[in-house]
Amino acid sequence: MRADVSFEGSEASTGQNARKGGFIRGLTDCQKQPKTLFDRLGGSIAFLAQGFAVFVPSSLRKGSSLASITFPPLIPLTSIFLLAATLTFAAAVVQALLALRSGRWKQDNTQILLMAIGFVLQTAFLYHRGQEVGQCPMKSLPDILVFIGWSVVLLYFLVGSGFRLSLLGVFTAPLVTVVQGLALLQGFNPYAVKGKINALVELHAAMALIAYAAFALGCITGIMYLVQERLLKQHRIGGLFYQLPPIQGLAKAIQRLVSLGLVLLSLALAISFALHTPVSNPKLVFSWIVWGLYAVIAFFMWRHVTSPRRTAWLAVVGFVLPFISLWIVTHA
Amino acid sequence: MPETNPNDSIRAAGSLVCVGLNYKTTPVDVRERLAFPEALVPEAVKNIRALPGFAESVVLSTCNRVELYASHELPEAAQSHEALRNFLVSHFELQPEHAEAMALYKLDAAEAARHLFRVVSGLDSMVLGETEIFGQVKAAYKTALETGSTGKALNKLFQQAFAVGKRVRNDTMIQRGSTSVGSVAVDLAEKVHDLKECRVMLVGAGEMSRTCAQSLLSRGAKSIIVSNRSYDKAVELATEMKGQAMKFDEWEHALHEVDVIISSTSAPHFVIRKEHVEQVMRRRRWEPLLIIDIAVPRDVEPAVNNIEGVYLYDIDALQAIADEGRRERERQLALCDKIIEEQLLKFGFVGS
Repeated sequence: MRADVSFEGSEASTGQNARKGGFIRGLTDCQKQPKTLFDRLGGSIAFLAQGFAVFVPSSLRKGSSLASITFPPLIPLTSIFLLAATLTFAAAVVQALLALRSGRWKQDNTQILLMAIGFVLQTAFLYHRGQEVGQCPMKSLPDILVFIGWSVVLLYFLVGSGFRLSLLGVFTAPLVTVVQGLALLQGFNPYAVKGKINALVELHAAMALIAYAAFALGCITGIMYLVQERLLKQHRIGGLFYQLPPIQGLAKAIQRLVSLGLVLLSLALAISFALHTPVSNPKLVFSWIVWGLYAVIAFFMWRHVTSPRRTAWLAVVGFVLPFISLWIVTHA
Repeated sequence: MPETNPNDSIRAAGSLVCVGLNYKTTPVDVRERLAFPEALVPEAVKNIRALPGFAESVVLSTCNRVELYASHELPEAAQSHEALRNFLVSHFELQPEHAEAMALYKLDAAEAARHLFRVVSGLDSMVLGETEIFGQVKAAYKTALETGSTGKALNKLFQQAFAVGKRVRNDTMIQRGSTSVGSVAVDLAEKVHDLKECRVMLVGAGEMSRTCAQSLLSRGAKSIIVSNRSYDKAVELATEMKGQAMKFDEWEHALHEVDVIISSTSAPHFVIRKEHVEQVMRRRRWEPLLIIDIAVPRDVEPAVNNIEGVYLYDIDALQAIADEGRRERERQLALCDKIIEEQLLKFGFVGS
């Protein structure tokens, strides 16, 4: 297989590739070229070598005889971080499922360690992606998905331990894996270059996305509530029952997460007044709709209008709206 | 833990003996004669150690077992068994017929170590996998240690036993699930509420409801209300449990204040009906309510379980959960014994 970028040019090409369309697009470009089985095998070896090449300092590479070998475009470092983070969260899901299935689940350090490694890798991705695009990476849908995934894990560490919600990681990891998987499938496009960064805009966007992460965690806690409630009603007292927290604690956690998300979204929307954004801006319109929905849910919780079970359903189903709105506003 | 030289353990185990009786071998009327009062255990430990040929001793005395562990320098283990038997007979001043009826197990070396490992792990307990025995063995060892009655062999043996006990509990599910109606009630209450904030109401003061309430209180339940047809009996039970007594026709008024109801009246009809609970749930702000109905015939209308936020368990449901818990623990036995055998091998009590 003839590749178009040499080893020496790897760092430059990484940036170019990122600008061309990111991990999935980069791969697709490479995979279009091989015609024969041999070509494909060669392509795979080259692909594995790229992963190694990313971690080899350029000073070492220049003197190497490998320098004469040519490879297809390198996987961007950012995508490697994201792929590794996603695989780590997927491993956390598998580990938990195997443990639960065998009935040997215990709240041990393995789950927390995997979540922590995933979080570090997510943070590394966001940092490098921010460097690439020269601003907070929150403009495209894949970037937003990753930022929400990061915020969900951050809140998991802050909230999970505070509420002593064992198994929250088990329910969080699949969501983050799916969200980041979607981001990887979409690929990462370049941004239009910004003249000057407005701190208020960045703060507004970051707060709104962390609010969405709180709603996501509220959705996860809602699922935990509904599962535990069902087990209790049906007298199915088994492995999962013993690991899930008391339903009263879960109901309180949902209430607090929805309230936290609502406060953060309110602040984000308050900031938008200072930005003189047109009222018809689709992002703003959807943000207000989401705010309205969660304000109603929070009111129901506060006034005990409905039972905790119905409130849990609202927290679960309600999250569909912010999730869909993200897709709509980024494609509008 | 430092690496163990297997040969050291084999040598130490060679002088190790255990003589005892438990709920499997001896009825309670004999066991109670042979139980060492807690205050007299230190003296007993010293007396055993003072027996000719004995170097170390530990006395384990609980409601279900009396066991003497010792290391000795006698030529035959049988001699040490006989000496310990005679010690029990003389210490408790047993009549010859009682001494004859005493069915003791006499173990030495690896058998004694295996037995202690199983005891510490809860595998020899009446309630399989129970954890209380671990603390009881620790207390027995501590008493012996403080009186200077333990040495190299027993110190090592008991430390190894505690490590094995922890490993068995961590690596298996021998503690998983509940095995009695009382513990099922506690488990359920813990999964509905924070037990420290949990308010309990007894409707009817039967023996079973008393047991359940005591289990909940021992695990930290906040308060208890007792309502019974005989008000005097309600007062008596409430006083015993440091709770509040209530006349039977008033229990409905307290329904919105409690988190767990344990009902065990002898009424031939339903006492707690759907409409009673439905009316109160809104007032309770949908706080979950656990109802444990241990009466036969049942006290609580089954349709109550259909109300949102209400979780109703009758005696059959509780018994089924307890039975499943026992079966689950029995399924774990083979795995626990395998771990113990591995540890006996590792510590050099048995050859490979």
